[in-house]
Amino acid sequence: MKTLYIFIFAVLFTLGAQAQVDRSVLPPPGPAPKIEFTDPATFTLENGLKVFVVPNDKLPRIAFYLILDRDPLFEGDNAGLTGFVGDMMMAGTTSRTKEALDEEIDFVGASLGAGSTSLSASSLKKHQGKILDLMSDVLYNPVFPQEELEKLKKQTLTSLASSKDDPDYLAGVISNALVFGREHPYGETMTEETVENVTLDDVKEYYQTYFKPNIAYLAIVGDVDAKEAKALVDKYFAFWEKGEVPNFEYQKPELPTENKVALLDRSSAVQSVINIAFPVEMHLTNPDYMATRVMNFILGEGFNSRLNGNLRETKGYTYGARSNFGSDKLIARFSASTSVRNEVTDSSVYEIIHEIRDLEENGITEEELKTAKANLSGRFGRSLENPNTIATFAINIDRYNLPEDFYSSYLQRLDGLTVAAINEAAAKYLKPDNMYLTVVGSGSAIKEGLSQFGELTMYNYKGEEVQEIQLSDDNKTASDVIADYIQAVGGLSAVENINTAKLEMSAEVQGTKVDMMAVYDAEKQRLAQKVIVKGNEASKTIVKEGKATVSSMGKSQALTDEQYEDIKMSSLWLIPELYYEIMGYTLTLDGAADIDGKATYKIIISNPTGGQVINYYSIENGLKLRSENKLSGDTIFREYQEFDGIMVPVKMSIKSPMLPVTLETEVTKVELNVPVSDQDFN
Amino acid sequence: MKKHLIWLVGLCFIQTLAFSQTKIDFREFTLDNGLKVIMHKDSKTPIVVTSVMYHVGSKNENPERTGFAHFFEHLLFEGSENIERGQYSDLVEGNGGALNAFTSNDITYYYELMPSNYLELSLYLESERMLHAKIDEIGLETQREVVKEEKRQRYDNQPYGTILPETLVRAYSKHPYRWAPIGSLDHLNAASLDEFMQFYKDFYVPNNAILTIAGDIDYSQTEEWVRKYFTEIPKGKKAIYRPDIVEPKKETEIRDIIYDNIQIPAIIQAYNLPPKNHPDAYAMEMLSTYLTGGKSSLMTKELVDKQQKALVVAAIPLDLEDGGIFIMYGIANMGIAPEDLEKEIDVLIKQVQEEGISDQDFQKLQNIIENNLVSKNSSIEGIAQNLAEASLFYGDTEYINRELEVYRKVSKEDIQRVAKKYLTLDGRVVLYYLPKPQESAQNQ
Repeated sequence: MKTLYIFIFAVLFTLGAQAQVDRSVLPPPGPAPKIEFTDPATFTLENGLKVFVVPNDKLPRIAFYLILDRDPLFEGDNAGLTGFVGDMMMAGTTSRTKEALDEEIDFVGASLGAGSTSLSASSLKKHQGKILDLMSDVLYNPVFPQEELEKLKKQTLTSLASSKDDPDYLAGVISNALVFGREHPYGETMTEETVENVTLDDVKEYYQTYFKPNIAYLAIVGDVDAKEAKALVDKYFAFWEKGEVPNFEYQKPELPTENKVALLDRSSAVQSVINIAFPVEMHLTNPDYMATRVMNFILGEGFNSRLNGNLRETKGYTYGARSNFGSDKLIARFSASTSVRNEVTDSSVYEIIHEIRDLEENGITEEELKTAKANLSGRFGRSLENPNTIATFAINIDRYNLPEDFYSSYLQRLDGLTVAAINEAAAKYLKPDNMYLTVVGSGSAIKEGLSQFGELTMYNYKGEEVQEIQLSDDNKTASDVIADYIQAVGGLSAVENINTAKLEMSAEVQGTKVDMMAVYDAEKQRLAQKVIVKGNEASKTIVKEGKATVSSMGKSQALTDEQYEDIKMSSLWLIPELYYEIMGYTLTLDGAADIDGKATYKIIISNPTGGQVINYYSIENGLKLRSENKLSGDTIFREYQEFDGIMVPVKMSIKSPMLPVTLETEVTKVELNVPVSDQDFN
Repeated sequence: MKKHLIWLVGLCFIQTLAFSQTKIDFREFTLDNGLKVIMHKDSKTPIVVTSVMYHVGSKNENPERTGFAHFFEHLLFEGSENIERGQYSDLVEGNGGALNAFTSNDITYYYELMPSNYLELSLYLESERMLHAKIDEIGLETQREVVKEEKRQRYDNQPYGTILPETLVRAYSKHPYRWAPIGSLDHLNAASLDEFMQFYKDFYVPNNAILTIAGDIDYSQTEEWVRKYFTEIPKGKKAIYRPDIVEPKKETEIRDIIYDNIQIPAIIQAYNLPPKNHPDAYAMEMLSTYLTGGKSSLMTKELVDKQQKALVVAAIPLDLEDGGIFIMYGIANMGIAPEDLEKEIDVLIKQVQEEGISDQDFQKLQNIIENNLVSKNSSIEGIAQNLAEASLFYGDTEYINRELEVYRKVSKEDIQRVAKKYLTLDGRVVLYYLPKPQESAQNQ
């Protein structure tokens, strides 16, 4: 009997020790926690300033966020103005230089920043007084120094120049221009001209017009209670004077009657950026708001969305495809976007349209609804960790006249959505036949494939239509165009007589003078190019004996054979056209193109090692107006001048992939057939 | 007079004691298999973060098989004996959560952020990874391609993307820090499934890991679940390989030029640092803030604003367990030769070494540090990582609450001293990143 007990105990013990968890079953979740939050305290000053206070004593920090609620602005000739306002306000006050202001902010380890519709400050609680002093000084007393505006304009022009090469930026410019119209605040874009137009008075006028308490919200978040907040607001903001702020109305953009294709040709692109969009009316106040959030998640957010699942996971066309269903008081936008390699551009556009249409016609599955709800509610819950979220909720409710429980009932409303509700929203809002299909990519590779989707129009980087030029002379060949060019620059015998040449050029880049010297030796196929910055040789390129070498800072690097062949094709000779056929390059006449308003022949020159140059020759006078080459970039030939019977371009704009800014060069000296020595090519 | 003085001194004393640092409350325990567990309760928001920090990084790799630790991070998303391929992230995201991971030279860190009623699931998931992650040929091949794409996208294709690997390989001659976590594609291509499985067995063991849970939790329920899912995971059989290599002090400067697909030249200087938990680490951190932290910092004000020689300058102490590097980099403005910028950077470094910093600037640094330390622990994600790092690198989780105290011990003179001691010319690496040789003008 005793042995039996011992045996039983032993078994029980061993069973206990071996009671492994059953890993084949997923542990179930606990009961869903109640997601709740406290509404902020709020009060409004006599001058109209609306204040929301979110006490949060987790950390000894305090933050002040001021936002201005104004109508969108159409800037027109001054496009870009609003981008300067914030930095100009931070550029000094009546009692503090910019340097002093920066120092005082850093001294207390705080942050303070301004924008055209915002001013925000944050710091440790103990520096509260200081940060409010600084914030109010910037708010009430900015001095707007002229030299700061000059500095900001220069910086903006630099980044604008590089953004012209950014296909994502370009796709956005064109897409917005189409969806909203170029005379609309959401459709306009800044250019060099509009940036240059911005004056100090413009900035001052903006500040005086819009920084008014009656259109402002102030959120105070952190280690503070409503009573203290009221005292602070009274001290720093009660005397802020209200004033009239203009309102603006704009025409609502319309859907295109059918799908339209917009193409911006970047011959050097290896990827196409695709942006498919149309305007849509949707806002927080719209009863369909929640349903469209779910719909868009299923279509184009998350790893396994319709778009990503198709274009990336199934087809392998892209690293990622997504969609966005906007929400805006004035007018919103739906867009689907992705970047794909050239060859699959048309297939990708096809698939995106297909997915949109499929969703519109056939709706979603129960499984998709479940995942979307879980994800969106999780996101909502996580957003509450940041106390700023509560402030945003309160401001939105006031600003847009939302129901008081808009956010506290968010999760319930989300949970209450059905498959039918989403399908209804999809059928109502998705417009697979009324979209603008914008593509930025290599025109020659993708144009034909895209024409099947709708009327195709070419655009330039400003969002302006580029005229398609019809060639009247169908018998013209590439060789004819080259011959015309040689004729235009001096005639065959004059050009053939050029044996050597020495050129001197100068350029100015951001206030620094750069000098360039080039020596040509046609017979011996030699070239030497030097770039001199502030009297020092910054770099040197030597081409001779079938090799090309570049030197800089005392170090030399030999270029590859392929690079050598490219240089040969584009720069070795003063007039390379003379040598195209001799070198065995392939010439192709690829139709006509509009180059800054002039009709040109587009000629593609390729060499056996895969290098390519694209030149544009004026139909009217035969001169070369532009040249594009992946290695050396884009060159625009602005002005020609005659030297010893030869027309030489003396003013050029060079946009090299190696430079962030366009180089404006001027030829200062041209000597033809002067003696050259080996020394010149060392 | 004397009375007043004492009173004033007393006041000053009180001032310095009035630091703002909120105490992070936590509990910790260690399982029999060596797994260290840290828990922090914060019920403000009904969310929870579950994370595992494995004490393995690129420095633990075989020199012929670099990139393993990072590759592993990818493989660990592939599933386990009970979780199918693709299911791991679905289980997190599909239940309202988010997940991520990263690999450094010293550690690999994984975390899931979920609604608090899914804590048990997230513990289950991490235990599955630790107990029996499933790595098969399909997963291996897929991730090989993904890691290649990542290397292309983040390093090879990015302007200046290769700065870290190029600097590391010169800053270290013997220590495994000489290769970057991304490793070599050749090594990854050559690696076999067996080698990966061995890596898993060697390093992905409970005695080499710290499990941290922070958020809306109940301490005893959490502990119960942790024991439920992690007790059965066996301790690692062999000793964990940790490199015992002392990097010899460099006597001469190493200088080189790298040609890259960039538009504007950059210069990089790197100085070797003592181990992460060395007392001088704090002074070096403050030195970096002094040099380039904020618009009013020494180099930003001088080189970017006044002289306009640089577009941007930054001083970054890359603190590593066995001794990292202090990286200074500057991107030159158009028309400025890199040597010119370098010369000016060196002038300012010398200034700190010879003249030290002013009382005002020192006070400023202390204020900035204080602000940063408070903000560091503002999310449970951040708190979880900081708790784990306190335990792993400093051997004491309570360090998380002593950080400000440690910084307060740094004096103005210390900052000058470390500038002299570590920013020496003879043992540094200097790299010029120059645009790939190109003609800068196309001529007729």
